[in-house]
Amino acid sequence: MDTIFFTDQLIPALNRGLIMSIKLIIPSALIGLMLGIVIGTLRTFGHSAVRKAANGYAIIFRGTPLVVQLFLLYFGLPNLGIYLDAYTAAVIGFILCSGAYHSEYIRGSLLSIKKGQFLAAQSMGFSTFKTMFNIIVPQAVRRALPGCGNEIIYLIKYSSLAYIITCIELTGEGKIIATRTFRYTEVFLVIGFYYLVLVTMASFVLQKIKERFKVPGFGKA
Amino acid sequence: MTKPKKPILRVENICKILGGKEILKSVSLSLYKGELKVLIGPSGAGKSTLLQCINFLIPPDKGRVWLEETEIQSHKKRELYTFRQQVGMIFQDFNLFDHLNALENVAIALRKVKKMSRQAARDCAVAELERVGLGDKTTLYPAELSGGQKQRVSIARALAMEPKIMLLDEPTSALDPELIGEVLSVIRNLAQGGMTMILATHQIGFTRSLADEVLFMENGSIIEQGTPEDLLSPDACTRSRDFCSRLNELYEEGV
Repeated sequence: MDTIFFTDQLIPALNRGLIMSIKLIIPSALIGLMLGIVIGTLRTFGHSAVRKAANGYAIIFRGTPLVVQLFLLYFGLPNLGIYLDAYTAAVIGFILCSGAYHSEYIRGSLLSIKKGQFLAAQSMGFSTFKTMFNIIVPQAVRRALPGCGNEIIYLIKYSSLAYIITCIELTGEGKIIATRTFRYTEVFLVIGFYYLVLVTMASFVLQKIKERFKVPGFGKA
Repeated sequence: MTKPKKPILRVENICKILGGKEILKSVSLSLYKGELKVLIGPSGAGKSTLLQCINFLIPPDKGRVWLEETEIQSHKKRELYTFRQQVGMIFQDFNLFDHLNALENVAIALRKVKKMSRQAARDCAVAELERVGLGDKTTLYPAELSGGQKQRVSIARALAMEPKIMLLDEPTSALDPELIGEVLSVIRNLAQGGMTMILATHQIGFTRSLADEVLFMENGSIIEQGTPEDLLSPDACTRSRDFCSRLNELYEEGV
């Protein structure tokens, strides 16, 4: 086995790709989660028109393949005079897609909050918005954390689709080398290992977050 | 007790229909400063609905509410929120905020609604929790408190807002018998301290000893009202008396 292939070609390229992957994943995960919280809240408590719009968004982005969304963002929008670079198109695509999935988790947990929590807040003079922001959503997010964590782990893996619209990240860098050297097995085994490490680290961070926000008697952290 | 001329809270002709059923049929009442009015009556009489209509948690179909001289315009959100800050509400099932500990439960409205600083809200919350005998439980979460302790936190939470009146909706009904006493003693202290309150309850002994006036509700109307002596004395021939003696029988049978 020639280690030079690994040390001189594959690892440096994959490390370069890894950095790009992380640049894609972190903003997509954070903004996607926030979007999901907002959309989930609107889908549950918004006025009729707002609710319909938010539901429509969720239906479209959960109901179409991410590849299609990315192609439309990168190759379709220029027809409307909007030009996005590959990185921006990929991040926007990931945010919109994961936001739609997060909204579903958030919606489910919002529906599980007891009505008394609203009544108590309202009875002390909380406005509807403050009730949502300070009382209801913080509880719902805690309950939704396991589901949302799962979605973030998915995101780490579907970030590999960015290379399809020429944003060369971990999978993209690997694929270039695999095509050039025809050493698919080694390359993709190593890529798989990189993702495994990423997901393990993300799980660790998510676990820490769950512990940080753990409240006695409030679901299992 | 000498009553000032003007009531602190006036409720006129409250009507409410829920699910096609007339829950409140034109209910009116006046509450004077320092007074404790007790609402009694069978389940489904409309006691909870009446209390929740008073602070518009359930919007009444008809009827008007005045706090002191001001009529509440419930469609004006800001006015409504200001009004609710002055009307403390205690619920049967406590409704503590599950994600906050006892201290934060009391402090959050002070910070978010009354815009107090974090430190001032904290100090105030500690003082209120001490007042209900929970000074050593400030860091515990609702799931770690007994029912009686939860209800005392919820009373501290309402008191911290410095309400002009309090509405208590069967505050001891969800409690084990041995925990009722600690909550009643907090309410007794409030009453003796001059807090103006409407209390819905099935605690007849408590009503006899502390109520200024008893309102007996049935089928959405107040059908009898008067002092506890008038309504509940052994020789009174009233619907209230009848109801209470049946409650007593129930409890005696339970022993």
